[in-house]
Amino acid sequence: MFRFLQAGAAILTMGVGIAAADVQIQAGGATFPNPIYQEWIKDFGQVHSDIKIAYASKGSGAGIGGLLDKTFDFAGSDAPMNAEEMKKAQAASGDVVEIPSVAGAVVLAYNLPGVGGDLKLSGPVVADIFLGKITKWNDPAIAALNPDLTLPGTDITTVHRSDGSGTNYVFSSYLATQSDDFQTKVGFGKTVNWPNGQGGSGNAGVTQAVQKTDGALGYIELNYALAQHIPFALLQNNNGKFIKASPESVSAAGEGAVKAMDEDKTLAVRLWSRDGDDVYPIASFTYLICYQDLGYLKDRAKAQAIVDFFWYATHDGQSKASELTYAPLSSGVQQRVEQMIETITFNGQALHPPK
Amino acid sequence: MANFKIARAKATSQIMYGVCTACAVLIVATLVLITGYLLIIGLHSLNWRFFVNLPQSDPPGMRNSIDGTIILVALASLAGIPIGMLAGVYLSEYEAKSVLAAPVRFVSDVLAGVPSIVVGILGYELIVVPAGSYSGWAGAAALAFIMVPIVARTTEEMLRLVPGSYREASIALGATKAGTILRVVIPSATGSLVTGAMLAIARVAGETAPLLFTAVGSPYLVHNPSQPFPSLTLRIYELSNEPSPEAQSQAWSGILVLIALIFLVNLSVRYFTRQRK
Amino acid sequence: MTRKGRSYGEPIMRCAATGSAIVILLMLAALLVVLFAAAVPSMRRFGMEFLRTSAWRPNSLAVLKLDARGKPIRDHRTGMKVVDHYDPPRFGALAPVTGTAQTALIALILAVPLSLGSALFLVRIAPLWLIMPVSFLIEFLAAIPSIAYGLWGMFVLGPWMGGPARWVRVAGFLPMPAGIESRFSRLFMRISGLHWLAEQQIGGKSVPIPTTGRDILVAGIVLGIMIIPIITAISRDVLRNVPPAQIEGTIALGATWWQSCREMLKYSRSALFGAVILGLARASGETMAVLMVMGSAATIAASPFTAGTTMASTLAGEFPEAATNDLHRGALMELALILLIMSLAFNIIARYLVVGKSVRTSAAH
Repeated sequence: MFRFLQAGAAILTMGVGIAAADVQIQAGGATFPNPIYQEWIKDFGQVHSDIKIAYASKGSGAGIGGLLDKTFDFAGSDAPMNAEEMKKAQAASGDVVEIPSVAGAVVLAYNLPGVGGDLKLSGPVVADIFLGKITKWNDPAIAALNPDLTLPGTDITTVHRSDGSGTNYVFSSYLATQSDDFQTKVGFGKTVNWPNGQGGSGNAGVTQAVQKTDGALGYIELNYALAQHIPFALLQNNNGKFIKASPESVSAAGEGAVKAMDEDKTLAVRLWSRDGDDVYPIASFTYLICYQDLGYLKDRAKAQAIVDFFWYATHDGQSKASELTYAPLSSGVQQRVEQMIETITFNGQALHPPK
Repeated sequence: MANFKIARAKATSQIMYGVCTACAVLIVATLVLITGYLLIIGLHSLNWRFFVNLPQSDPPGMRNSIDGTIILVALASLAGIPIGMLAGVYLSEYEAKSVLAAPVRFVSDVLAGVPSIVVGILGYELIVVPAGSYSGWAGAAALAFIMVPIVARTTEEMLRLVPGSYREASIALGATKAGTILRVVIPSATGSLVTGAMLAIARVAGETAPLLFTAVGSPYLVHNPSQPFPSLTLRIYELSNEPSPEAQSQAWSGILVLIALIFLVNLSVRYFTRQRK
Repeated sequence: MTRKGRSYGEPIMRCAATGSAIVILLMLAALLVVLFAAAVPSMRRFGMEFLRTSAWRPNSLAVLKLDARGKPIRDHRTGMKVVDHYDPPRFGALAPVTGTAQTALIALILAVPLSLGSALFLVRIAPLWLIMPVSFLIEFLAAIPSIAYGLWGMFVLGPWMGGPARWVRVAGFLPMPAGIESRFSRLFMRISGLHWLAEQQIGGKSVPIPTTGRDILVAGIVLGIMIIPIITAISRDVLRNVPPAQIEGTIALGATWWQSCREMLKYSRSALFGAVILGLARASGETMAVLMVMGSAATIAASPFTAGTTMASTLAGEFPEAATNDLHRGALMELALILLIMSLAFNIIARYLVVGKSVRTSAAH
């Protein structure tokens, strides 16, 4: 039995493994940016073959939780840390650094065979659907927005996130701005008490649920809808225009970001419900979060690798953004991100990112 | 009047006879349906590259997950089987002199029914958090936690079946109690002990929930258990959430490989018991 | 038999065996201590209310400042509505507990008759050459990992129940266009008094339930299939241990085949009940198969056609983020504790019923 294992081990260790001298980084969090993070990890890994990063796409809540438990070396989250989480982080290892890596759009994907890709929705109507006030696709409120479509009488099955999710945070925050009822009955957060519908795990799970359920309406990141060829709705923005989600309409939302960052003195600013003709109403940054002083890692190479990866993501990696239908960071935002990355230290010593 | 009652009773009997047969047929049919489906769909996307490639390669494979499951189960057995067997020995051989036996048997039975997700949470709190990292050790520990009560119970039952006369004869010939156990009792029950161990291994190889928060999975080929560790079950679960059809067919292939592995273990159970007369 | 190790062998074996026995006790202790300690924040905050409340809300809810007419006041500068205060998060176990109960119930309804029938088949009907293969096949069902059932339920049973098998909810078994189907089913259900199957209450309004195939019913069916091997195996052993004298006696008195079977079942009813309880324990603790198939929604409804959640699947879904919020983690750990205590209770009862009964019967003969 043991000899078999030994022989087996010898054969099995041929191939890409993890050598003893490799730097290994365990990260995880938001599913929203997962497609582009996996690309970045692959590309970064080709340049730095001794750095092995594993990003576990399990939801922003799991990401922040992992960071607080220190089982993740850095976290991805679309939702910035709230006050209670900040307090816990302080108690664990001090301040955290949250830098936006890329911006994306949350779209309303639907499954209505025969209707095609031109469904129009507005914030208040979506809020009512998710509150359970509108239950059928041919409801007058939806029909009013789509005079040129014949909508079937199918029941609407809403699909929401069942795990702790930054996408959920963004979407519920947006709906809270669109409907008083939503704000007071459901509220916003990484997990909220949705009054109806089904849950899916991760952006991928919701995508799958929408794909498989007739009459479903779910909220997912743009990339997921496009990759699976699922139709998604045009959404009415603050200026009354119906906008289709795209890197351009997300960048339009990001224009006010720099001003907000300077005003609020944080890089975690909201991009949803912004004014502007070309703005897509549910846009959001997604953040890479780590502790400001990485001394607790006890491994300087690891800390340096994290800083290098953050730098890569926010500079060279940006060229991949539009290709994967995310919006790259504007130069103003990038500047402030650079300043933030430079504050990351290892036991007080600065970790110089590659310039 | 009486004839009617008798006739009705006879008719009922005939019907229920048929119903019971139908029950068995239905169950067997369901099994055939499910495994048949698994076989067909699983074989569809199974090729040699599946066993050699990693998830990040193109086409993606499950090599790291297969290695992972084998290593995790092996590690878990290294701890779970000895402890379980020794506990079984205690319950069966040392019971007369001990005050612990009854509670241990009770607790052992009760532990065998603990939901595996709870075991995973225990592993997270006790191993992952203090260590600051997910690890294969934590995963193996969680699996061992599940194995110990199962192995203990089956060991005890099997050892009890060894006739007392064997033990008495051995002691009469001058052996110590320990010697008796090691050289007489255990060897005469080897076949069934191995059965018990193998059943525990098969059970644990198919577990997912205890690994969710302990080993957590990994896209790389990992053989060092101090890091996040891949496993077939975890990878299948990840794939099941992916919306692309390729991911789904990969998941089916993974299931096929997993079931084949478990089936192999079960088959060797039969082989062993036949071997030992 | 050897003199060499005689002075060392005995105490070592004794120590090792006793040590392992103690390890088992420690395992249970560790489980109870860890869960209990982590559940304290939630237990202290919610107390017994936890078991009665259905709201599972990890986020704080804004309570808006209202003016005299009850309309929200807006801040002059930003135009945003002014929040009076935030209602803190609330957790209540009623939704997961109800979900667990509903799925377990459906599983039992499916599994118990089938298992008892098959056990009777194996013990009273099957010819000798058939017993081994059929037993083996049924035990093979037990060896299939739960994730395989989850996958099968998710990709085969679920879509079938939500698609071609939708007629299970509509009278007349007629295929009809989607919009009319739900109205027809509601009408039929209302007339036959079964409307609770087709509607649920949301915010006080009666809302139709679409059949999506990701609901409590499918989860119950998958669970039922999973627990069949356990109940069948134990029932078969129990029935096999019924003394032949009992059976022969009834036949001598002129009983039909079924009547003698009934006697067997009656004779061993407490042990059979124990087998059912063991199946129930397995069904209520199952995580993966349910998680993949059930639709994950923290709502309560009488109809099995709604999505729901069980204690185990809530744990699996929300545990990773629990580190961010002590109350959330406490609530989840409290769920784990309830789950643990429940499965302990089931196993204790079942053990007493199955083992106790056979001890009694063997003592009597």
